[in-house]
Amino acid sequence: MSPKRALRVALVGRPNTGKSSLFNRLTGLNQKVGNYPGVTMEKHLGLAKIGSNTLAEVIDLPGVYSLHPSSDDERVVLDALTTASEAERSDVVVGLADGTNLKTCLFVFTQVLDLGFPAVLAVTMVDEMERRGAQLDLPALEAALGVRVVPVNSRTGMGFDALREAIASAKPSKQAPFFQPAGAHLPWLQKKQECIGAGLTYRAWLDGLSDPDFAAEVRESGRGPERARADEAIQRYRWVNQWLKKVYHYDPVRDRRAAARFDRFVVHPLWGSVLLFSVLFVLFQALFYGSSVPMDAIDGGIAQLSAWLNAALPAGFFNHFLTSGLLPGIAGVLIFLPQIALLFLFIALLEESGYMARVVFIMDRFMRPFGLSGKSVVPLVSGTACAIPAVMSSRNMESARERWLAIAVTPLMTCSARLPVYALIIGLVVPNTPWIGISLQGLTLFGLYALGFVAALTGSALLNRWVPQQKSAPFLMEMPPYRMPIGRNVFTAVWTRSKSFVVEAGKIIVSISVVLWFLANSGPKGLPNFSAEYEPMPIEESYLGSIGRGIQPVLAPLGYDWKISVAIASSFVAREVFVGTMATLYSVDGDDIAPVRERMAEEINPSTGEPYFNLAVGVSLLLFYAFALQCMSTLAVVVRETRSWRFALIQFAAYAGVAYLAAWSAFRFISYLSI
Amino acid sequence: MKLSELGVGQKALILQAAVELPVKLFEMGCLPGEEVELVFAAPFRDPLCFRVQGTLVSMRRELADLIPITEPYVA
Repeated sequence: MSPKRALRVALVGRPNTGKSSLFNRLTGLNQKVGNYPGVTMEKHLGLAKIGSNTLAEVIDLPGVYSLHPSSDDERVVLDALTTASEAERSDVVVGLADGTNLKTCLFVFTQVLDLGFPAVLAVTMVDEMERRGAQLDLPALEAALGVRVVPVNSRTGMGFDALREAIASAKPSKQAPFFQPAGAHLPWLQKKQECIGAGLTYRAWLDGLSDPDFAAEVRESGRGPERARADEAIQRYRWVNQWLKKVYHYDPVRDRRAAARFDRFVVHPLWGSVLLFSVLFVLFQALFYGSSVPMDAIDGGIAQLSAWLNAALPAGFFNHFLTSGLLPGIAGVLIFLPQIALLFLFIALLEESGYMARVVFIMDRFMRPFGLSGKSVVPLVSGTACAIPAVMSSRNMESARERWLAIAVTPLMTCSARLPVYALIIGLVVPNTPWIGISLQGLTLFGLYALGFVAALTGSALLNRWVPQQKSAPFLMEMPPYRMPIGRNVFTAVWTRSKSFVVEAGKIIVSISVVLWFLANSGPKGLPNFSAEYEPMPIEESYLGSIGRGIQPVLAPLGYDWKISVAIASSFVAREVFVGTMATLYSVDGDDIAPVRERMAEEINPSTGEPYFNLAVGVSLLLFYAFALQCMSTLAVVVRETRSWRFALIQFAAYAGVAYLAAWSAFRFISYLSI
Repeated sequence: MKLSELGVGQKALILQAAVELPVKLFEMGCLPGEEVELVFAAPFRDPLCFRVQGTLVSMRRELADLIPITEPYVA
């Protein structure tokens, strides 16, 4: 290890062993969330003080059951441990083992030891262990594993001093190897070892079995890579079972019976559905109404700041840029924070308590045909409030492919920003008369919600069929036991998510809104006079107006005139801007829907002499807004989450294409019927 | 008998399968000779959640269909 770089510590363990709790305890808020190259998987890095003057860089690797990757997503763990890059190699591995479930946790830890890493085993959930009467002979386990074993409690911080000390003085196991490939495997192992130049046999074993180009060589041994891995599993479990019998005593029959009874209630066709529906209902209500108070406060605060700045600064370009360009952009970022924080608070509670795994379990059968797992109900349901937190919530999915599908289709769900547009158009073209006792307007709105839901699921099913599948893990999931959420973990989840939204998506949103401000406030004739007797530039004379007029010929087949085209161009900021722009274009004061609607209803189509906003134009507009990705903030978040501008641009184009086709066919069809 | 036919609360021993199963199954602890119990099932009995080696492992019915077991011994 070169003296310049900090000690690198990797956390390796099965899912649900309290890995993130230990990581949060060790590093506090000194964390950074990044991505592994090539996969949309989160990489958690943090700094921890190990000794009086030793700083360690801790990496929280995704939870795995084995170092052999069963999918591309699981590969990151093996890659991180066997990387050839000196700068990225881990110096010490901390293995995690749930004290109430030691057996299966030791499997992956003995694999780590066979790789020759200096290592420490942290036994978590010791409070639960004691409460349930589990007994562990620590010195005997240490002797068997040949490394330090440290019991820790991430809730109280107990054992962390010992853990830090053990990390600083960690040594490779004296007892390794725990698994010794032999016999027919030796020829190919030798060949692989020569290729990679590694000393340890187990390194060559891991490499050889996960290398598809090497499968033929392995097969010569008479065992394929899969069979060889199964042989290893049998051998390792035999060792673990043999040793644990001597050092670990735990008989949790009574706890298990109670937990099983509760689980049967949670997955019950009736009671389980009632519970799930209630949880989703509360989540939806919280996103919709619970966030409105802080959102109004942010809105009001920014408006006050803007008014104060406007009065304090001399009138002119700079003042206008600041108060009408930059500040609204920043407000446009902050306004999403309450919803993001609330959603991640909910998700953290659901994940930490163990209920999320049950949701996945119950919903699996229903989501399977669409290529999604039960976890995608969270982004989809949240998408009915706002696509921005919803797209971000896909981060909690383990499978990269599923995550990708969820991001691709979530913005199709009917978000709250579509409501003002829908309210305006429905009021304009759908008669407010009951049809067999049902309000037609209400029915149309319901239909639009259903359309968004059906479109999202159909889109996912189609993409799942069209886009070739890479190697994916079989659906095998461990059900975590129910646990009280740890406040620190919940807070850290909310904090890191909110921070990364403000910093990373925020800079894209602010930049785009500044550009849009410029386009709306300057035109071919130059800048307006920003001095004291400032007159806003008429929107039709601005560049934005020119763009709207420019795309009008393209939108004409959908039945849109230049005013609608300009409103569509300007509502790229956010869909609800459509209403404000229509108000401006029709010279109606204020942003209220009713007066704009009245004025629009009076508009006459010069070529037919009939009202311009007929059913055909209205339905065409409704469908356009149902499908088009008219929201720069969603695009910014998609760029941030997928780390790909290409993904976001293809998504934008695909949504636009579907919107255009749907609006065009509806317009033509209804126009044809009404002749 | 197949693992997918186990009733809720019933226990049996896993037998050696004739077909190749996903290795992840073995690595999670579902090995031949181990005791398995069906703890709970989703609506339509798919997926299913079993206890093996002290952990709860859930899998789809199509996978449980491939795993042979002994006759259940706790009704």
